[in-house]
Amino acid sequence: MTYEIQPIETPSRLRPHLVQMPAVDTPNATPTAEAKDQAQPKVQIKDLRFYYKSYEALKGINLTLHDKRVTAFIGPSGCGKSTLLRVLNRIYELYPDQRATGEVLVDGKDILDPRQDLNLLRARIGMVFQKPTPFPMSIYDNVAFGIRLYERPGARALDERVEEALKRSALWDEVKDKLRESGLSLSGGQQQRLCIARAIAVKPEILLLDEPASALDPISTQRIEELIADLKSDYCIVIVTHNMQQAARSSDFTAFMYLGQLIEFDTTETIFTHPKERQTEDYITGRFG
Amino acid sequence: MVSEHIIKSYDQELQRLDNIIAEMGGMAESQLAAGIEAVAKRDSELAARVVKSDARVDELEREVESLVVRLLALRQPLARDLRQIVAGLKIASDLERIADYAANVAKRAIALNQTPAVKPVSGIPRMGRLGSGMIKDVLDAFVERDAEKALAVWLRDEEMDDLYTSLFRELLTYMIEDPRNITACTHLLFMAKNLERIGDHATNIAETLYFLVHGTPLAQVRPKRDRTSLALAPNADVEDIEEDQD
Repeated sequence: MTYEIQPIETPSRLRPHLVQMPAVDTPNATPTAEAKDQAQPKVQIKDLRFYYKSYEALKGINLTLHDKRVTAFIGPSGCGKSTLLRVLNRIYELYPDQRATGEVLVDGKDILDPRQDLNLLRARIGMVFQKPTPFPMSIYDNVAFGIRLYERPGARALDERVEEALKRSALWDEVKDKLRESGLSLSGGQQQRLCIARAIAVKPEILLLDEPASALDPISTQRIEELIADLKSDYCIVIVTHNMQQAARSSDFTAFMYLGQLIEFDTTETIFTHPKERQTEDYITGRFG
Repeated sequence: MVSEHIIKSYDQELQRLDNIIAEMGGMAESQLAAGIEAVAKRDSELAARVVKSDARVDELEREVESLVVRLLALRQPLARDLRQIVAGLKIASDLERIADYAANVAKRAIALNQTPAVKPVSGIPRMGRLGSGMIKDVLDAFVERDAEKALAVWLRDEEMDDLYTSLFRELLTYMIEDPRNITACTHLLFMAKNLERIGDHATNIAETLYFLVHGTPLAQVRPKRDRTSLALAPNADVEDIEEDQD
């Protein structure tokens, strides 16, 4: 004896709907995986060594930084992450007995080349420090300072550039009515955004942020992080941070450094969910002895 | 061996998570064994005890939930810690389901004991033993963080599906032969389905454990052998329609 169960017939009037169902847009990858696929290299660091007198602070770093992406440098104090940042715009040259060897290629051109014009380099590569460093001048002049250094725009054009930079750094609404007041009158978080405005006013290509939010309260920190997310569409951004969650939240790629060496570099998602190196895992999970 | 956290209380909380899961697993395993014994020995009293003890497993699952929420909120876990905590939550939920299914088997045992015994009942203890073994092994794998052992459990579910499919056919045949068997066989059929689901949850735990250890999901496709949804009749040849399954 055999029983047959017939398939239920779909009424034909319903079929067109089934056939014409629009294709569902499935995101084909997570943002970070996508970040890896489409990112263009902006800076290529090759066998970079850095010395404070005879002390070797960076021991042969090889690393690629991508354009329109955020790369976070993490690692314990003294691991060389700030040093690496300082090499990228050659700010170390302000001090004697400090030197770098190897190559740092920005768009293929070595910025460690002694013939490199440092002022031009620093216009291309902006830097923001841990402690807000507004100049003792008006908010307007703080932002205009860099522009005046590199260009000679008319008054109107300068106004526009200052406004644009302040808008871009999400500070405009808070300061537009007091542009002539001192930059020092602002709160810590506002001062830090003013410094970012100053850095981006000269239209750099790369932004280096050294612990930009470590001295700020959580609200100001989130404003800075939101700003980083927004600025990412135009710049290659590097952020040094001791805050793991901040690195995880705001970056596409993460480099873990220890004792002057690059231990691991990967997408941020990989570093914070399943890093390959034991040292990385121990550091980010709070097991570092 | 994974080194310790700088913050000791974090380690203690993670250890507590593992301990609760181990306790839940032990309870689920023994409840299943007792439920099966109640079927095999027609022991309604034992079955009633199994049904009652399910509440304790539910309680432990709630404990895992609150511990996980606390860990996520206060520790901001990353990497292996994050995987352990997420895995803990998932495994607890699988174990809670397993215990539920064991309780369901016990409930049906009580009903079954009020009908005359039927022959195919022997298939139930076989499935039960296999299920118990899978739970035991996957929990050992959890305690030892042994992904290979978990993988072996994962592959054993095929056998569970085979047992289920053959019991399903057998029961169907009995019911067709004599409609007086229908009540008992229906209970047995639901029991078999519950046990088959227990196998599925054990494989879920194996998959979660694999992710916990390796940080990547188990990518292989598990051989799925439960063909009862395709069975048209006792004599239908399932091989012919095998390729249609998902």
